[in-house]
Amino acid sequence: MQREVGTLPLAPALRARLAAAGFQTAQELLDTGPCGLSKEIGISREEALEALQVVRQECHGDTARAAGGSGATRKCTALELLEEEQTQGFIITFCSALDNILGGGVQLTKITEICGAPGVGKTQLCMQLAVDVQIPECFGGVAGEAVFIDTEGSFMVDRVVDIAAACVQHCHLIAEAQPEEDHGKALETFSVENILSHIYCFRCRDYTELLAQVYLLPEFLAEHSKVRLVVIDGIAFPFRHDFEDLALRTRLLNGLAQQLIITANEHRAAVVLTNQMTTRIGQSQSTLVPALGESWGHAATVRLIFHWDNTQRLATLYKSPSQKESTIAYEITPHGFRDVQPPAGTASTEGTEPNPRKRPRTEEEKQQ
Amino acid sequence: MAAKKLRRAQLSQEMCERLSRYQITTCQDFLCLSLLELMKVTGQSYHEVQKLLCKVSRACAPKMQTAYEMKLRKSVNPSSAFLSTTLHSLDRVLHGGVPCGSLTEITSPPGCGKTQFCIMLSVLATLPVSMGGLDGAVIYIDTESAFSAERLIEIAANRFPAYYDSDEKLLCMTRSIHLYRELTCCSVLKRIMSLEEDIILKKVKLVIIDSVASVVRKEFDTKLQGNLAERSNFLNRGASVLKYLAEEFTIPVILTNQITTALSSGPGLRADLVSPADDLSLSEGSSVSGKRDSGYVTAALGNTWSHSVNTRLILQYHDLPTRQPLRVSAAITKMLRVRSSDTNTAS
Repeated sequence: MQREVGTLPLAPALRARLAAAGFQTAQELLDTGPCGLSKEIGISREEALEALQVVRQECHGDTARAAGGSGATRKCTALELLEEEQTQGFIITFCSALDNILGGGVQLTKITEICGAPGVGKTQLCMQLAVDVQIPECFGGVAGEAVFIDTEGSFMVDRVVDIAAACVQHCHLIAEAQPEEDHGKALETFSVENILSHIYCFRCRDYTELLAQVYLLPEFLAEHSKVRLVVIDGIAFPFRHDFEDLALRTRLLNGLAQQLIITANEHRAAVVLTNQMTTRIGQSQSTLVPALGESWGHAATVRLIFHWDNTQRLATLYKSPSQKESTIAYEITPHGFRDVQPPAGTASTEGTEPNPRKRPRTEEEKQQ
Repeated sequence: MAAKKLRRAQLSQEMCERLSRYQITTCQDFLCLSLLELMKVTGQSYHEVQKLLCKVSRACAPKMQTAYEMKLRKSVNPSSAFLSTTLHSLDRVLHGGVPCGSLTEITSPPGCGKTQFCIMLSVLATLPVSMGGLDGAVIYIDTESAFSAERLIEIAANRFPAYYDSDEKLLCMTRSIHLYRELTCCSVLKRIMSLEEDIILKKVKLVIIDSVASVVRKEFDTKLQGNLAERSNFLNRGASVLKYLAEEFTIPVILTNQITTALSSGPGLRADLVSPADDLSLSEGSSVSGKRDSGYVTAALGNTWSHSVNTRLILQYHDLPTRQPLRVSAAITKMLRVRSSDTNTAS
């Protein structure tokens, strides 16, 4: 109630007038009433009433917060957080090595950034995650939907169809191996068409469209409450050309990061961003570093860097609050993102995948 | 979309006038401001400004499609999703041919056959759909003056003798290939910007730029300070306009690139961050040893450009006289080798 007038979310012109008239606290405003206010500062009665309603709402929110109720800021103990985190699901990537180093998979309510050179598999992982987020809970998934914001035009529907088909087949196999009653029901709705219709795609051509889309995201997520994954494929691309004012770029990116964190927390969704690599020219040599600058590095909670070692693709967990830094190998197969298969010729496991896997470059390939 | 005036975002007239006093006339200007700045500029309360922000965002934001709708749209018209190259093994690897709606890059050492490949694709694009073509015109932007009209007619006559059986048909075909000779980066960019109208006017179904690398490398010397950034800027702008055109009209866009050697001793890149598919020295038949520490051969125009193209085809000499396109894609990664013999008919 002792809140100063200057801190209330009123229009600046109105605030200036109130200050000029000598009002200092919110309580004074409430005591004056709409008619008195309108006469004193020379505004219409309706405007005065509107202003008072805003003030009342703010003060009510303040007192509620002071009393320890739910407000804009949440207070809870670490024990409550621990319980929440333990029951929270992960979005698996189908590459068990990657899931292990991430501590179970891509975490909900956190921002994960994937950096890498072109062609290394960032978009593949994003498409894999957009399918995996929909795995029903009885199979260990989070049964959510996905939003895919594409800025580079690299989203390929045919590839998603392949990945989805492989995922559905995998679930069918699990259901056959260990039949449980939930499995049958879940499998009825878990089909390729269903998976595709729950991936919401937005094609943003420049950073204005991207900003607009992120502003509208809370509204969209409120309508589609089952969304558990937001992928922005190529957050670097729209910000890397036509930007003379780097200070503006940093500010916009920080704003974007903050909004994504808020969205991730409020809707319990995972946010996955992909970034490009850029060449940093040093004194004597140049290195490849993630694009968008140093300050962007702080935006993501978890950072993965994908790179090559001769012909093997590797993923390094570069930044994580709870897991240690480590590197694993992965593969991109016709079925999607997978572990590296050992070269031994055992036919028992994985005998269900008839398509040939990626082979090293030096061998002669035969067409299928 | 960014340059959309606020008037068209359904903001009230007086609000637009007020904002224009602060030089905020487009949606882009509006969305770049923070909430406090917007409050100051519009003179509205916090909640009102949030509502305005949503209004303006709605005017700029892209339309939502589910992946299912995208698939349905594609399956309705399957023949128009690819331009078949008539090299069967290559088509198989590419899942049908050169994809429509995205950028495809063809890169190779000099003399491998990039321009020949482009000329052949131009002929294919003018064929009717029943023969596997796109039944449309072609825009060919030539920066090296390498396009030869006689070779075009030779290829057409030898490859499809049944279809091009009369001079008249050949001339008709040549009339639908529009050649632009651009010799500077600036003019190439201007030409790319003006393509949208030409595509609609002339019913174009294929855009070829041969070659991006020659004009860029001529003008930008990356050893000079500031040139690397300017070059990236130019390439990114060009790439985003071309992507927009490719997607909007669902046509293939083909670009050709050159090969460069990156030495590790000088300012080089960490070898593990460059895709081994881009490293041509690792393939069979090359004289450079497989050790990547000593430097490697890769497509020109840098890292940023590699992010912009969707599909990359690398042509190489395997052993004379066959030329061998080795396919590498940034989107669907499968590294497979395909043989092609470069005969008179460029088949």
